[in-house]
Amino acid sequence: MAEYKLLTHAFGTKDLPTLGVYEKLGGYQGLREAISKFTPDELVAQVKQSGLRGRGGAGFPTGLKWSFLPKDVFPRYLCCNADESEPGCFKDRWLIDNNPHQLIEGVLIAAYALQVETAFIYIRGEYRDQRLLLERCIDEARSKGYLGRDILGSGWNCGIIVHGGAGAYICGEETALLDSLEGFRGQPRLKPPFPALKGLYGMPTVINNVETLSNLPHIVQRGAAWFAALGTEKSTGTRLFCCSGHIGRPGTYEMELGTPIAELLENHCGGIWKGRKLKAFQPGGGSMQVLLPEHLALPLDMDVIQQAGSALGAGAMVFMDETTCLVNVSMRLVDFYKHESCGKCTPCREGTYFESALMHRLEAGQLTLAELATLEDICDNMNGKCFCPLGDTATWFVMSAYRAFRDEFEAHCGAGTCPVAAAQVTALVPA
Amino acid sequence: MANKTTTPSSSEGLAEAEKVTVTIDGREVAVPRGSLVVDAASSLGIHIPIYCAHPKLDPVAVCRMCLVRVGKMPRLQPACATVVSDGMVVTTQSPEVAKVREGMLEFLLLNHPLDCPVCDRGGECDLQDFAVRYGPQTSRFPITQKSHAAKAVVLSDKIELDQERCILCWRCTRYYDEITGEKELVLVRRGIDTVIDSFNGEPLTSDFQGNLPEVCPVGALTHRQYRFQARPWDLQRTKGICPECSYGCNINIDARDFEIKRFASRDNPQVEDMWLCDRGRYSVEKWSHGSRVRHPLIRAGGEVREVGVDEAVAEAARQLGEVLRLHGGGAIGVIGSPMLTNEELWLLQRLARETLDCHNCDHQLDELGNVSADEHSLGIAEIEDCETVVVLGAEPEANTPVLTLRLHKAQLRRGVEVRRVEHDASPASLGIKGKRLVGVIADEVHRAYAADMADALASGNTLVKRLTVTRGVNGRGAKDMGMLPTQGPGYSRVTGGKDGRQILHAASAGAIKALLLVGAETVLRGAGILAEKALAKVDVIIAIEPRAGIVANAASVVIPGHTYFEKRGSVTNVEGRVQRVSPALPPATAAPQETRVLAMLAAALGATGWGTGDPFEVNTMLSQAIDAYRGAGNGGRALWKRQGEPR
Ligand SMILES: Cc1cc2nc3c(=O)[nH]c(=O)nc-3n(C[C@H](O)[C@H](O)[C@H](O)COP(=O)(O)O)c2cc1C
Ligand code: SF4
Ligand code: FES
Repeated sequence: MAEYKLLTHAFGTKDLPTLGVYEKLGGYQGLREAISKFTPDELVAQVKQSGLRGRGGAGFPTGLKWSFLPKDVFPRYLCCNADESEPGCFKDRWLIDNNPHQLIEGVLIAAYALQVETAFIYIRGEYRDQRLLLERCIDEARSKGYLGRDILGSGWNCGIIVHGGAGAYICGEETALLDSLEGFRGQPRLKPPFPALKGLYGMPTVINNVETLSNLPHIVQRGAAWFAALGTEKSTGTRLFCCSGHIGRPGTYEMELGTPIAELLENHCGGIWKGRKLKAFQPGGGSMQVLLPEHLALPLDMDVIQQAGSALGAGAMVFMDETTCLVNVSMRLVDFYKHESCGKCTPCREGTYFESALMHRLEAGQLTLAELATLEDICDNMNGKCFCPLGDTATWFVMSAYRAFRDEFEAHCGAGTCPVAAAQVTALVPA
Repeated sequence: MANKTTTPSSSEGLAEAEKVTVTIDGREVAVPRGSLVVDAASSLGIHIPIYCAHPKLDPVAVCRMCLVRVGKMPRLQPACATVVSDGMVVTTQSPEVAKVREGMLEFLLLNHPLDCPVCDRGGECDLQDFAVRYGPQTSRFPITQKSHAAKAVVLSDKIELDQERCILCWRCTRYYDEITGEKELVLVRRGIDTVIDSFNGEPLTSDFQGNLPEVCPVGALTHRQYRFQARPWDLQRTKGICPECSYGCNINIDARDFEIKRFASRDNPQVEDMWLCDRGRYSVEKWSHGSRVRHPLIRAGGEVREVGVDEAVAEAARQLGEVLRLHGGGAIGVIGSPMLTNEELWLLQRLARETLDCHNCDHQLDELGNVSADEHSLGIAEIEDCETVVVLGAEPEANTPVLTLRLHKAQLRRGVEVRRVEHDASPASLGIKGKRLVGVIADEVHRAYAADMADALASGNTLVKRLTVTRGVNGRGAKDMGMLPTQGPGYSRVTGGKDGRQILHAASAGAIKALLLVGAETVLRGAGILAEKALAKVDVIIAIEPRAGIVANAASVVIPGHTYFEKRGSVTNVEGRVQRVSPALPPATAAPQETRVLAMLAAALGATGWGTGDPFEVNTMLSQAIDAYRGAGNGGRALWKRQGEPR
């Protein structure tokens, strides 16, 4: 297994973001086939059979999620999650920039399968260019009858509304996204009820990631069985990996799932830069636990990485070389969560503040060993106790780093400075 | 946004709900299906600390204080938002849960200012209490790193907010979302910088702001009226009924050094449902002002003499007796007040009718022809059981503000259709058909219209019940007691007499020669110049009056009365609920309470069988005389057999 360009195969084609070019390359054939070959229920069954799992973070089986919608309750809604705010993650923007019609076609196929007449694309506020591009492409598609009234003569109507966020990580969490979309303060909702039963405006709703939906035209055109054969048994298809950090060629690479991480690093990312050695890496974005060089042999498979104590999450690979101070990285990530905590629940709001205060003093070499134990203790008081995963994950990286690099953490205590090659400290996440 | 859970119905006599069995800390209990774990635990006497949860609000599970172990669930679950299921096993007492509680309190206290010594809430604060019971002994966070927020933010003329003390439990914002529907408070900023503030920084305008400090579990929201007035251990608490209107909201009266400092709510789900209006709550100050009549007085020939009660009563009897002998009972007018207790009103009309042969008795000024028990059949909580409620007139709730919240609750939680109807709408034009139970609510001005509406809407299968918003704390009791010119106790038929205004007219014309006025100062002041003319004209004015004013100034005999918070007895609210009141303050006079004075007066006039006028004794007598009151007891509703049932 290796690189496999499924979603990205046409990238680079001149004017791909225009309808004419997209159509020439077979664009909207997937939608046409979906409508002509399948009933909505059959289409849901196809997606189930393809083994497609969510690319937004949790890796939940897409077809199964769709099948939770209660029968005969209308209207229903579909929300495409384009909030992409996970630290280290930039694949959704790339997908939209390069092939916006692929996403729109995916949204429409899902909308048809779910019998949705209004779909939303919730896009992060900073992606202004991408929002305008999507809006232009939606107009184009409407003018050709791919969306609007009586789509392709099927009698089914569907519109797509693009809605820009205002800059909050939490609005990527599906229920906070719904509140934000409804015009409320973006904060996660109490579950149950789950969005499949009571989502947007209290109606059944499906939320899917940009990459998840961009797979649909290919699943319809090439067949569920073909897709299921790609990748591994439980992690089918490909995924886009946003690779960054201390590597020769940072960028986004589409890999068939099951490819060893080492191959991604060595053959595509150009290995660790400056001839240095890998110290640690994060396989799924800022929320996920640290992995070590010994894990490079593992395949890019959601379940395997989970068993190793981390997750593929949102598909962001951050590689750190031997000069990296894990305390420093942890501190910066903790600061991110402190900044992004929505403030709804006590452990996340106060805990990230406490964590951050301790991490800053640790990084400056001012913490005592007893206070380091306090850090571990408050992380335990947060993890699994928060209202939503944001607060839980605010402890994951730092605690995994603490466990794997305990010497390094303890060496900071009372040192008065960062002991890890003080001169070479390289920040991975800009302040 | 809100996700509705089953809130227990507040109406009386609901069918028993289906039960499920759960085991909590090794003990089994059967609770109604749909119950929350926190309530199931409390039914076993197991305390689970809560901050964001509130019995009247939907769960939000934001404070994480109530986390407990539920069965095999991988994470601890919030007891406030977890619904019980049959066979569920819950652990609330374990090292794991204890650690989380301690950890959560450490988080809540992390940036808390710890200014308990100067906080109004100190001594009745859930943060203090749980910190002692479940919290850590010390703080592991340097005080210099605390984040700060604004203190003493003035939200309105009534409410001040300390943003540092706030624990962000969302009770106040949810109170506005769910209970009043006004949404005046919001969350601003995020993360550690999150604070509660008024929407766009505009002053709060709600008529129900005073409930905010009560829903707040800490000292963040405070009453400006009560700021720095007392600590809870300084206060003496008496159960009472709000003095401001006839809705009969249950309150606690908190007094310090014989001065009332605040009214606090005392949850009665049948009545106010724990929510008070600002008019009632902040009427506190009225009770520490105003000059009082402290000694009995006899006024003769331009001279005023301080006398003992016995002498005053004897003189009053002599003067009344003389008018009765010379001119008959028709020359006497008796005016009470809706601020009197049932016992006082019942004795007063009895004194008028039986002893003074006088039918000119009233408790207010307006003509209220054809009062009947029928117009009082709908209960407050019963509003939630109606399918449709027709509200007549501009805003009957203006007289009983808390009714607004019950109507809101009925709409929001029970899906009751509330129709506001202009005076000229015909019943047919409302298109209300095929309903089981319809409520008609009107103020006293629209009683006739309400009667027509009720008649028109009632049919074979539709039961119509009416609620008439009476005026004055015991306006309803005054009617039931027969303190009316046209009806006697229990709406019995009696010889008709003059109503309040007619009495004053007759008095100023010289036709009425004696007035017996009990607590009537406020009633007469409402009559303006007419009252002054009447008081100037009549020579024999016997006044039992707590406050100085036009009545006490004009009376030939004045006997000091007790104010509402100095007396014992019962009052009846708008729906007929008979509720007890007892003294929250010692009387400002040595004279006995009105019931005793009235009994003394009756005896001095030669009547027998009146007893001592002890309020309990009078209550027993009136309950024997009025069937509905025998049924009501203390706290129940006085219900009459409905005439021409079913209607
Ligand atoms: C704090 C937080 C942030 C998230 N941010 C994103 C995001 O930016 N984009 C996204 O697609 N999913 C995000 N998710 C995951 C979503 O909640 C949701 O699981 C996902 O959009 C579902 O789509 P999928 O099934 O296609 O993966 C986030 C989750 C959490 C808890
Ligand atoms: S002000 Fe009081 S009620 Fe409102 S969120 Fe803060 S602690 Fe809760
Ligand atoms: S009381 Fe349960 S989370 Fe606040």
